[in-house]
Amino acid sequence: MIDFLAKKLEWLDVHHWFYIFNDLSLFYIIIPFFVLELIRYAYLKRLDKDLVLDSIANVITFGGFFLIEIILGILAITKVYYWVYNNISLPHLELNWATVICCVLLADFAYYWEHRTMHRIGIGWATHTVHHSSPHFNMSVAYRFGPLDAIMPIVFSLPIVMLGFDPILVLLSEVFVQVFQTLLHTEIIGKLTKPIEFIFNTPSHHRVHHGSNRQYWDKNYAGILIIWDRMLGTFEPEKEKVIYGISQPINSVNPIVVFFHGISRFVKKLGQIKGFSNKLLAFVKPPDWMPKQ
Amino acid sequence: MKNSTLVFRSLGILIFLAGLAHLFSFGVDTSDDSPTPTTETSTATEQQPEAEVPTEKPTANSAYNPETDPLIGQWKVAYNTKDFKGAIVYKIKKEGKVFNAYTHQYQDENGYAQKAEGTKTLTITQFNGSKGKGIYSIEYEGEQYEVDCKIALTDENTFTLSYDYYGYGDVETWKRQ
Repeated sequence: MIDFLAKKLEWLDVHHWFYIFNDLSLFYIIIPFFVLELIRYAYLKRLDKDLVLDSIANVITFGGFFLIEIILGILAITKVYYWVYNNISLPHLELNWATVICCVLLADFAYYWEHRTMHRIGIGWATHTVHHSSPHFNMSVAYRFGPLDAIMPIVFSLPIVMLGFDPILVLLSEVFVQVFQTLLHTEIIGKLTKPIEFIFNTPSHHRVHHGSNRQYWDKNYAGILIIWDRMLGTFEPEKEKVIYGISQPINSVNPIVVFFHGISRFVKKLGQIKGFSNKLLAFVKPPDWMPKQ
Repeated sequence: MKNSTLVFRSLGILIFLAGLAHLFSFGVDTSDDSPTPTTETSTATEQQPEAEVPTEKPTANSAYNPETDPLIGQWKVAYNTKDFKGAIVYKIKKEGKVFNAYTHQYQDENGYAQKAEGTKTLTITQFNGSKGKGIYSIEYEGEQYEVDCKIALTDENTFTLSYDYYGYGDVETWKRQ
């Protein structure tokens, strides 16, 4: 077992496996599953114009996000990540099973904290609220992103590069966590067996995360492993029927409104806050924070 | 949950996972990347007649330590690529705690030689007498890349240099001149 974990891997093989999981999964699982969801909506007589337009808006927001992600990603990987990797990182790690597994787990843990931060600071929620603003819950919602959603992952994954992991491996691991997350956006799958529900993030746990019910706010931030939430005090099981969306619904399927509503609300909030230092504090204080007048 | 608990638990998880990765990278020695164990090297040395040991081995240099500095000297590497067919002779020098390899001579496939400009191509940062690691400068499609590489001594006159840069890799055989 130790020999297996320490066995050196070739980049070509690692790329190949990540290509199958990260890239091809769109075709062999995500799109087929979404079609299944549409059939289910039709069967339940819930397939209406609002749901279809909402799904289209989701995909369009992904286009905007992806463009920003590509620009930031290229900049981060070629400049920031490699500078950190070459100048202020621990000794560079070999490519073996142990480092790949540890890197995925660390990327998952970084995702937990990044996600938690997105919910708990003003500027984070201004962009991440886009993802939560859909009143529906299906695989297309996984592609509903805000304009600044690509920034936090870069910040939170830098420590992994500093620990000696190859920047490309870190990037591939982050995408792997995101792809796993995508699969959780469904109402079709109920609760799974207890050991799986205990260790892994599941559709049930993620439905809770998307709930606008008060007890479900700011819970279940996990990517792949729900044990991070259990260990860090943010776990909540699915009990009450989940009502999806945010506390102040946007009531729009216009992709532009959807994409920018969080930022425009935040700018409006900044306009209402008096004092420069208070305005700055609004960026890092919780989303519902307002200074004492 | 208290903030201090969050911090300590998070640090614990980070240290555990990063520690495991470092343990499996540097603490566990896998045999597949070391083509020739040290014992075989010494056997090969014993079997080789003294007269066959290359004369250019820098034993004349009083600073040369055969135990720790077996890499110092001139080494020839044959290439058969689209861009270059022939051989390059490198000169490895010990500079401080590292070994640096500089281009010394280019030889084309017909044997014509030309003096090289003395470009630093390889820096061996770690070497334990049989295996080591370093940074190798490679050229790919006109761009220069600094890649991590490994070296393994096959016998006292040969070592292999291997690198794998995101799937673009090679194993070169360096022969003492």
